[in-house]
Amino acid sequence: MAAHVLEVKRKLDERYLARQRWARAAWVYGAMLALAVFFIGPFYVAYLGSLKDNPLEWPFRYSFAQTQPKNWSAAWRLGQLGAGNPWTGGFAPGANIPFQVSYFVEDGQEPQTPVVTVPTRRAGAGLGAIFDEVQAAQYARVSAVQEVGRRSAVVGGQPGQIITYSFTITYEGQGPRAARLPLDIEAPRGQVYYSATLDPNRLERRGRVASWDSAAPGFLGYTFRNYVRVFNEARDPNTGASFFLRWTLNTFLVCVAVVLTTLLFASLAGYALARMYFPGKNYLFAFVVFTMTVPAQAIFISNYLVLRDLGLLGSLWGMVVWSAVGAGAVFIMKQFFESIPREIEEAALIDGASPITTFFRIIIPMATPALGALTILTFQGMWNEFFKAAVVLSGQQANYTLPLGLSFFRSAYGVAGDWGLMLASAFLSMIPIIILFVVFQRYFVEGVSTSALKG
Amino acid sequence: MLRSQRIEALYALLFLAPFLIHLGVFFVFAFARTLGFSFTDKTLIGQSYQIVGFANYVQLFQDPRFIAALTHSVSFMLIVTTLQTFLALSMAAILNQRLRGITFFRTVYYIPSVLSSAAVTVIAIWFFQKTGFLNTFVGWIGSVAPVLLAFLAIFVLAQALQVGWERMRGLPVTFTDPALATISLAVGLALTWLLAALGVVVPREAQPPEFTWLTNSDRFLGVPIPLWSIIMLNTFTTIPTLMLIFLAGLQDIPKSIYEAAAIDGASPLQQFFSVTVPMLRPVTFLVITLSLIGTLQMFDQVALMGDAAPLDSIIVLAYYVYNNVFSGEGRVGLASAAAIILAALTFAIVLLQRALGISEKAH
Repeated sequence: MAAHVLEVKRKLDERYLARQRWARAAWVYGAMLALAVFFIGPFYVAYLGSLKDNPLEWPFRYSFAQTQPKNWSAAWRLGQLGAGNPWTGGFAPGANIPFQVSYFVEDGQEPQTPVVTVPTRRAGAGLGAIFDEVQAAQYARVSAVQEVGRRSAVVGGQPGQIITYSFTITYEGQGPRAARLPLDIEAPRGQVYYSATLDPNRLERRGRVASWDSAAPGFLGYTFRNYVRVFNEARDPNTGASFFLRWTLNTFLVCVAVVLTTLLFASLAGYALARMYFPGKNYLFAFVVFTMTVPAQAIFISNYLVLRDLGLLGSLWGMVVWSAVGAGAVFIMKQFFESIPREIEEAALIDGASPITTFFRIIIPMATPALGALTILTFQGMWNEFFKAAVVLSGQQANYTLPLGLSFFRSAYGVAGDWGLMLASAFLSMIPIIILFVVFQRYFVEGVSTSALKG
Repeated sequence: MLRSQRIEALYALLFLAPFLIHLGVFFVFAFARTLGFSFTDKTLIGQSYQIVGFANYVQLFQDPRFIAALTHSVSFMLIVTTLQTFLALSMAAILNQRLRGITFFRTVYYIPSVLSSAAVTVIAIWFFQKTGFLNTFVGWIGSVAPVLLAFLAIFVLAQALQVGWERMRGLPVTFTDPALATISLAVGLALTWLLAALGVVVPREAQPPEFTWLTNSDRFLGVPIPLWSIIMLNTFTTIPTLMLIFLAGLQDIPKSIYEAAAIDGASPLQQFFSVTVPMLRPVTFLVITLSLIGTLQMFDQVALMGDAAPLDSIIVLAYYVYNNVFSGEGRVGLASAAAIILAALTFAIVLLQRALGISEKAH
């Protein structure tokens, strides 16, 4: 009897404990999910903002024209009709673009045909404004606007009619290709825009005027309009080359050069500190660790003057020379070399190989894991380096790296409040690091925790 | 010294040469020269300069902008370090579980720390605009506050009832019992939904945002609002790194200590304060030092803010130095003096850490 009761109690306890375990796991997963939203959410909403025509709109919408599949397919089709280019669209000879737009008219008002124009419009408020671009307005011919249907409907509690109009825009004869086909449709007072083949970029004057940046945008040109603008609008006034592409290339060059110098110099110095005997070694190492704590901002003045005397200001080489090898990299390599067994190199040294041969033939091949981690950490550090770029490259826009370029965009487009372009350029500049992070995340995460704890 | 030893020392010198030359020019020489400049009236464009003794230091402390930069730097350092140490430790404690998929979450949390400060700051400036997402979110919380409060009240009530019931039955459950909390959560959600559907609690109408973060001249706790924005931004981007360091430390604490504490009847919260916090003291120490040094160097966010916020409300020491060199005639002497003060603050922190670190070992 007593044994039976104990048995039941034990089973109950087990069930109770299992229930506790499951519930606790569920709460922990919930907390982790909440944290993930906390860390990723801001980037997600900013990404939504970067797709919008007006990222500062209020109230904030999570679903808008650029996120709707209906507009994606329409933009794709219109881009193909406009210039045979479904991705970025355009307006080329031979284009024949049918377009429909619907207006709502309250009962008791006489509907009137809206006015369709292809306006002359300059690109953006910032850097792009100084360039002459081919204006579609010179070549586009808009057909007569015809009513193709009407149906009664109730919109906003008001009974009335929805009237659909149709027209075509054509490019007859020969001529240059225009990058965009701006379109304005203006209806008389009392009529309110209801829908169109493609949702407009802006609605003005209480929904009477609908305005498109391009009626033949292509999929990317519509959905990722701000991203395309980063490449098209921000161009060097002297050469006409895209700033953003140039900056990306610059950043890559600096990163690759610094990674190479760091790998070579840091592994040499790290090996000497880890394995060779010379007087004052421990003092030197303590000093190296100490230099890691001193901020670059406290000692950059002399470095600036040194680079000026070398004629490297405004040049990417200035960045490379200043960042050629860091104390942190030497520290990582020293820690690594101390962790590998000594016997292999001793065998080589006994065989009469010089330290240089031993280092390059035997040590370096063994150090590939550490060199890989160092490559990634150095690359990431340089890709994000802002301070040194701000000191060395100031004023030479063609030689900027991406972080400095973003700062330049912020001041150039910030005045006009062109947040679409600024957010898009910020996201574009992150892509390489995100790819690097996704592929080599182990190095990032482990690198931080282990190197910090050992230090 | 033996001949072989001398040869080895020569080789070591050869191996170290590139690094030592770089360190010599860009650190030792740079530091000595900055110290030297700080006692002169050198400018960036002028050719000749004179020794002026401590005049630059005296002038610094008469410059209201420098005083602002110094107080901003110190308050920024203290606030951010406190916030991020506390938050990073709490998050690491939550994450220190052996659950499936935890690696994925850790990787995800690390993303804000990997991205460039420039890109993140641009995004943050958008976030802090008047109609940016932060105000949108705050407004949303304000408008759904009645629903949220109703939910919380029902949740706590349901939990209290259940715990009371179980205790009456003689079961020693704690108030934070996870299984009961799950039931309370379901009850809370269902009842809140019912109340909302019946129209008993309704969200309020969202109002257009009025509060400005970056162009605000008000202060909160003596710190300008725009600087608070940077504090929030910096805390957000550095928490993940510190959290990972804490996690590595947490995993070194033997599980047996927790088991012993659990057998003695310690609740998770008691375990946290009586086991985790003392065992983590060396790691906490390291995190605080890293954080103090790192926050003192903060430059990028201020430089990128540019004209988005008034300079005098966000200026910090590092930017003060930069700004003095690269604006006007380039007052290198004055900027060097400020740089030396920045370096001295860093040294003070390192020395303090050393001093406390030794006493830590002695205990």
